[in-house]
This record gives sequence, C-alpha cells and structure tokens, in this order.
Amino acid sequence: MLEPSELSTMFNDAGMWAALIAACLGTYFWRGLGVYFSGKISQESELFKWLSAVTYAMVAALTVRIILLPVGLLATVPISIRLGVSIVALVIMYSKPGERMIPALLVGTFGLVLYGLAMNFLS
Amino acid sequence: MSLNRDIVIKGAKDAFGAPAAILFAGMLGFGAMGQANGLDIWLTSATSFFMFALPGQVVLVEMLVLSASGVTIAVAVTLTATRFFTMCLTLFPQFPEKQRSSFYYLVVHLVAMTAWAVSMRDFPKMKPEDRLSYFTGFAFVCWAVSTPATVLGYMLAGQVPSYINLGLVFINPLFFLLTFTEVKPRANRIAILLGGAIGLLSYLWFPDYSLLIAGLLGGTMAYMIDKHFRNRRHA
Repeated sequence: MLEPSELSTMFNDAGMWAALIAACLGTYFWRGLGVYFSGKISQESELFKWLSAVTYAMVAALTVRIILLPVGLLATVPISIRLGVSIVALVIMYSKPGERMIPALLVGTFGLVLYGLAMNFLS
Repeated sequence: MSLNRDIVIKGAKDAFGAPAAILFAGMLGFGAMGQANGLDIWLTSATSFFMFALPGQVVLVEMLVLSASGVTIAVAVTLTATRFFTMCLTLFPQFPEKQRSSFYYLVVHLVAMTAWAVSMRDFPKMKPEDRLSYFTGFAFVCWAVSTPATVLGYMLAGQVPSYINLGLVFINPLFFLLTFTEVKPRANRIAILLGGAIGLLSYLWFPDYSLLIAGLLGGTMAYMIDKHFRNRRHA
C-alpha cells in the first residue's frame, strides 16, 4: 500500500478530479440513455423480458464476483469463509421465504465480523 | 410530473429500515476505504454524491491508488456502470407513459441496485400510477444517506477495527445475493444462475468485459430457455 504522500506525488489532485468527473459522466451516461430508450419499450413485450433477463444476469455476475473474486479488504478473507457464510445466509433466507432477510443479513455480516475477530485474536 | 405526496412519504418510510441501513453500512465501509487509500475526504464523498454506484466507486478508488491514467479509469468505471442502462430500461416502462417528463432525467440518478431490486419485486403489487412517487421517495432516501455515511466512514476510519469494516463491506453484496432468492419470473431466475457462473469464468479472461459478457450471454440463454418452456406449455 502506498503512503498518502507518495500517492500525491504520483497522481496530482487535478488528475484525480478529472478522472472522477469522467467516471461520473460515464455512469450517468448509461442512466440517461436508459431513460431515453425506456419510452419505446412496453413492459408486456418480449424485448422487456429479454432485457430483464440480461439485467439480472449482469447484476448476478457483479454480485458473485464481489463475493468470490473480491479486491481489497474482502480479499483478505479466505474464499471458504466467504462462500460458507453466504451459503448459511441463503439457507436462512430459504427457510421461510420473504420473511428472513434481516436475520439472514445479520448472521452473514456477524459471521464475517467473527472471522475477523478470531483472526485478530489468533495473530 | 405529478407526484403523490403520501406515496412519496410511504416510499421514504419503507427505505428507512433495512435498505437505508444496508447502504449506510456499505458507504461507511467505502468512506473508510477512501481514507485508508490516502484520498482526500472531498473526493471520496463526491463519488457517493455524484456517482452513487458503489461497485464503480470501489473501482475508481482502486485504480486511483494504482495510479492508472484518467482515461483508463473512466473507461473501467463506465463499463461497470453498463448495468444501469438495462436497469433503467426495465424500471421506467413500469411507470405510466403519461407520467413521462424531464423529471425522469433527475430521478434516474437515484437508480442503484438497492432501489431497483426492491422496485422490481414490489412494483407488480402496486398501482402503476403510484410507482413513480413511491420510487422517488424510496430511492431519494437511499441516495441521501449515502454521502453522510461516506463522510462518517472516512472520519471514523482510524477508529473502526478492521473486523467491523469486514462486516460493513460484506453487507451490500450479501444483500444483493439474498434479494435474488425473491425474484419470481422464471427467465430472471435462470438468468441469475447463468449470469453468476458466466461472470466468474469470463472474469478470469476478460475482467473488463465480464459483466457485459455475462449479461448478454447469460441473459439471452435464460430468455431462450424460458421461451422454450412457455411455447411448450401453449403447444
């Protein structure tokens, strides 16, 4: 990890803000484009069904990637823990569909916190 | 534009609970990440205000730290945001066409995974004319908590032990994973399974384009499988 002072010499502030502005415009571009074309689509159409499937596939890919192939802090947790905690949360969710979101989330989150605590304690 | 005040407030109230708490936690974790990587507080919180797309924000911070070029960063973040195109294409047609106005271009900034997932689940149970008002209230709360949470996360970064941070950065992806179990249409359920699998595989070879590949390939296959079964039932 770089020290802040090293970082600022490698990348000046103006450059960072320029990257930020470009990234924000790029993000809004897709949102705006979606609104623009959304008027031409009926929610009963086959096109809508296909687009929904494409969106869910994309969002699922993103979610699975963050959990299984993360970068940064989550990458310090072994994949077996990330996978195990996710499976336990899913089992809780399926145990009573529609009513167990909060317990499943809490168990999953505390599962990871407990792992972190255990590692702190052991090291 | 004609928003129904009572429905807007109902949406806002529904957001103040698990959805806002989850976003708040994720943004706390993101603020701490900005601090740990040596970014300044303004830049870190500006991403939550102006970009409001957690995965893209994380990519931005990581690439800034790797001192990638501005163009490379913009392209990478823009690619992770492609999902917003089809998210909007599937969200806005559910509002009555007579409500369409330039207000859409403002409210679209509030579209992110949390509000989208909840809307896709709950809109079918709602009167069409109530949906825009509900979404506006709900998504505004999600957006409005994000920037303060980022600032707070940044300021607390040194004091929060890393095991708490682990929980904070995990809660968002876990929430999305759990919402998938509540998706009803068969095509979308198949799409989630295929998209997750194809996304993982394609990430190993084409990390920048893996979401697009997973979306187009997984989504199209899921749509075709679903259509095959629909046709068989009618035949």
